[in-house]
Amino acid sequence: MNIQMPRINRVPFFFKNQNLLIQCGIIFFIIITLTTLIGPFIVPNDPLTANMSERLAPPSSAYPLGTDHMGRCIFSRLIVGAQSTLGITALVVATVALIGIPIGLVIGYIGGRLDTVFMRVADGILALPEFILAIAIAGFLGPSLTNLMISIVFVKWIAYTRVVRSIVITERNKDYVQAAKVGGSSNWKIIRRHMFPQIVSPVLVLATLDIGKVILTISSLSYLGLGAQPPAPEWGAMLNDGRPYFQSAPELMIYPGLAIFFVVLAFNLMGEGLRDKWDVKSR
Amino acid sequence: MIENKTTATSENNLLVVENLSVTVRNSREKLIRNLHFSIPQGEIFGLVGESGSGKSLTATVILGMLSKSLEVTSGSVKLGQSEITSLSERELRNIRGKEIAYLSQNYQSFFTPFIKVGKQFIEIIRCHTDMSRKEARKVAIHWLNKVHLPAERVFNSFSDELSGGQLQRAAIASAIMFRPKLIIADEPTTALDVLTGERILDLLSELKEELNCSILLISHDLKHIINRTRTVGVMYGGRIVEIGKTSAVLANPIHPYTDLLLQSRLRLNKHIQHELPTMLGEPGLIAEEGCPFSKRCPSVRESCSNKVPMSSLGTHHSAACHLVKAEREERYVTR
Amino acid sequence: MLHVNSISKTYHSKPALNDISLTVQHGESIGIIGESGSGKSTLGKIILGLDKPDQGEVHFRGNNLHTLNGKALKKLRRQLQIVFQDSAGSLNPKLPVWKSVVEPLENYPDVIPSFLKEVRHNRKKMAEVLFQKVGLSPELLERYPHQLSGGQKQRIAVARGITLEPDLLVCDEPTSSLDVSVQAQVLNLLKKLQKDLNLSFLFISHDIAAVQFMCERIVVLKEGLAVDSFLTEDLFSQSRHPYTKLLVEMSMEQENKIEENQHFYT
Repeated sequence: MNIQMPRINRVPFFFKNQNLLIQCGIIFFIIITLTTLIGPFIVPNDPLTANMSERLAPPSSAYPLGTDHMGRCIFSRLIVGAQSTLGITALVVATVALIGIPIGLVIGYIGGRLDTVFMRVADGILALPEFILAIAIAGFLGPSLTNLMISIVFVKWIAYTRVVRSIVITERNKDYVQAAKVGGSSNWKIIRRHMFPQIVSPVLVLATLDIGKVILTISSLSYLGLGAQPPAPEWGAMLNDGRPYFQSAPELMIYPGLAIFFVVLAFNLMGEGLRDKWDVKSR
Repeated sequence: MIENKTTATSENNLLVVENLSVTVRNSREKLIRNLHFSIPQGEIFGLVGESGSGKSLTATVILGMLSKSLEVTSGSVKLGQSEITSLSERELRNIRGKEIAYLSQNYQSFFTPFIKVGKQFIEIIRCHTDMSRKEARKVAIHWLNKVHLPAERVFNSFSDELSGGQLQRAAIASAIMFRPKLIIADEPTTALDVLTGERILDLLSELKEELNCSILLISHDLKHIINRTRTVGVMYGGRIVEIGKTSAVLANPIHPYTDLLLQSRLRLNKHIQHELPTMLGEPGLIAEEGCPFSKRCPSVRESCSNKVPMSSLGTHHSAACHLVKAEREERYVTR
Repeated sequence: MLHVNSISKTYHSKPALNDISLTVQHGESIGIIGESGSGKSTLGKIILGLDKPDQGEVHFRGNNLHTLNGKALKKLRRQLQIVFQDSAGSLNPKLPVWKSVVEPLENYPDVIPSFLKEVRHNRKKMAEVLFQKVGLSPELLERYPHQLSGGQKQRIAVARGITLEPDLLVCDEPTSSLDVSVQAQVLNLLKKLQKDLNLSFLFISHDIAAVQFMCERIVVLKEGLAVDSFLTEDLFSQSRHPYTKLLVEMSMEQENKIEENQHFYT
């Protein structure tokens, strides 16, 4: 039989604009990744070397963005700081996904009492604000980036578990899962083959949007002095360092602030773009 | 041509659709092409076609609920005096529900499961009028009785406590409360079994008499609507390929699509069949040029790839097919 | 082959099935007619072991379906397959359709259906043969469900139903969400497959005409009760249950009106 399909799934015009947004996001993303990876090898100055004679210097050929209150090169610190800020963020999001997704898959698929128990626990943890928790953990274990990560992961994984669980719960009662059961597929195979593909795109979207949030959290906690410790270059910590000089040398806060702003924006754009794209496809 | 005749002659047409075309915005993809039909006051008009024929889309245009990604590129839809395609959203909202009622196939999800049916009725009524709760309750009970439901019981039920037929009836009741001039029923019986379905259609015809409204009955199955409508239009690929008095179309289906649609309907037989007559191909197989059905048609000719105009066969019957001419000649000869 | 022994099932304190018994012989096709809410889909699920009855048993080839588990159940299940009503929901939207079709074959590496003997080693080839069997072009193998029409999806669901060459195929309203012209195509296909593969059918439908075409025996369900059971040729007999008669009458009346109309003009 010669079969031709009706072409309904054309992308409507207003979509092209949103593609532009994703493209911007992706270009940003590539720039950011490249900077993070090769940046530390090409920076003009050592980010940790203080040069008190050159403190608060204006931009020059030696210091592209000038120096901070300790005479360190701001540009170099920003670039090297990207590594700790973004690296930690990526690590946090990946850990969170690795913990959250499997738990969500299993709990959603099995359901029943396990599900009820989990949901109560999750509600309990979610009731703790992540900032307070981070402060508490920093209080117990001392302020450091590792402890900061632990506190973020502790709260964040539940969001992933919840998303995955709710998708699995709606999908597991659908006919195709029943059909797979009738066809002799084991539960493990159904989870792997039929459930997992359903959650990939929503989780990717969630993760992309989350990266922005995590950057902000890390930066704000570092700003509060609970994360990266001086003299390590980290954007939030840099903001904190610049605070006393806000009136005389505002650029100390403006540069790291802008860096955070653009990175968060890039990831959000990409996340939103991906969400729109995948939402349409799943229809 | 007949469609011009019907629109021109009868002054009491409630709904007139003229030369309507709908395309996907910013593309040349046409979903509805040059649609022509009219529904006289107090009549039931049937629209038949398979999925992708554009029948439900036609309903959305009439309701003024066309999705933003589609646009009306030509033609007009007149309900009484008002031109639907040029009304503002606010005016449309006024017309919807009050002058045009819509019954969807999805009556199952018509009512929210968490709120009692009666309460939802009261809300709908108070949305459109300034009645008190008590008055609204009376009105709701009145209309629930009208659709032959145990009004008090249904009023105090949640939607999942009602059967499919009951839900469909309740949905009808809420649709007709404001005495609409036109009821659009999109596949109202498809999800129901024969018994319940026939009773729902009985109810619709009965209500039509009482409210003196018109009904646009949409279905993919000729069988469901054939016995209820006075006129019927058969759609394929966004076009009406045959239109006319139901009895005339039934007696002498000219367009091969109508004919095959009639033949392939499932029916009870005194003798058990070994194979059902079928139509070739898939409903999505639509020819871009000429007759949309030509890719599936058993009596296709070269000329079918050209534009095939509607030509009439008698006063109340016309079809867009070269077979009309042959049919006319045959009649001429036999006379 | 299949014995359903007075099963009952209650959903939300409403009885969905009440003391239903029936038997299906090898190669026989049984139709279950009933309106929505008559419990006919529940019956299908119980027979497939997807749901448990509150009372009663289902015996398939001498084994109680609901007390078996593990390997024994898996072995038995191979013989019981299903075609669902909603072809859109019965295929995984994120998988190319051929993968859905051959999935059962992956689970039973020892099963070699007669029509797949030559190609049993190659998954793609098996899918191709199965597609051919249900009248689909191999071009569609790589498509995703949303790129196919309702009729094509339902053919694919049928293909998956027969992959393991089961003894019994449960068809739960396999045509009621399809266009009229496609309904007839799918019914013809099912009937042909039944003959070719010597399948037994449990054909669940609300359309009495479809059941008449497909089945040798008919059971009529009403509100969870089996009110009537008879051979298809006795459908028009006077001794039918009043409810059956009503169903027949309604359908015949529709037909007669159409015919009257046709004669009126000619």
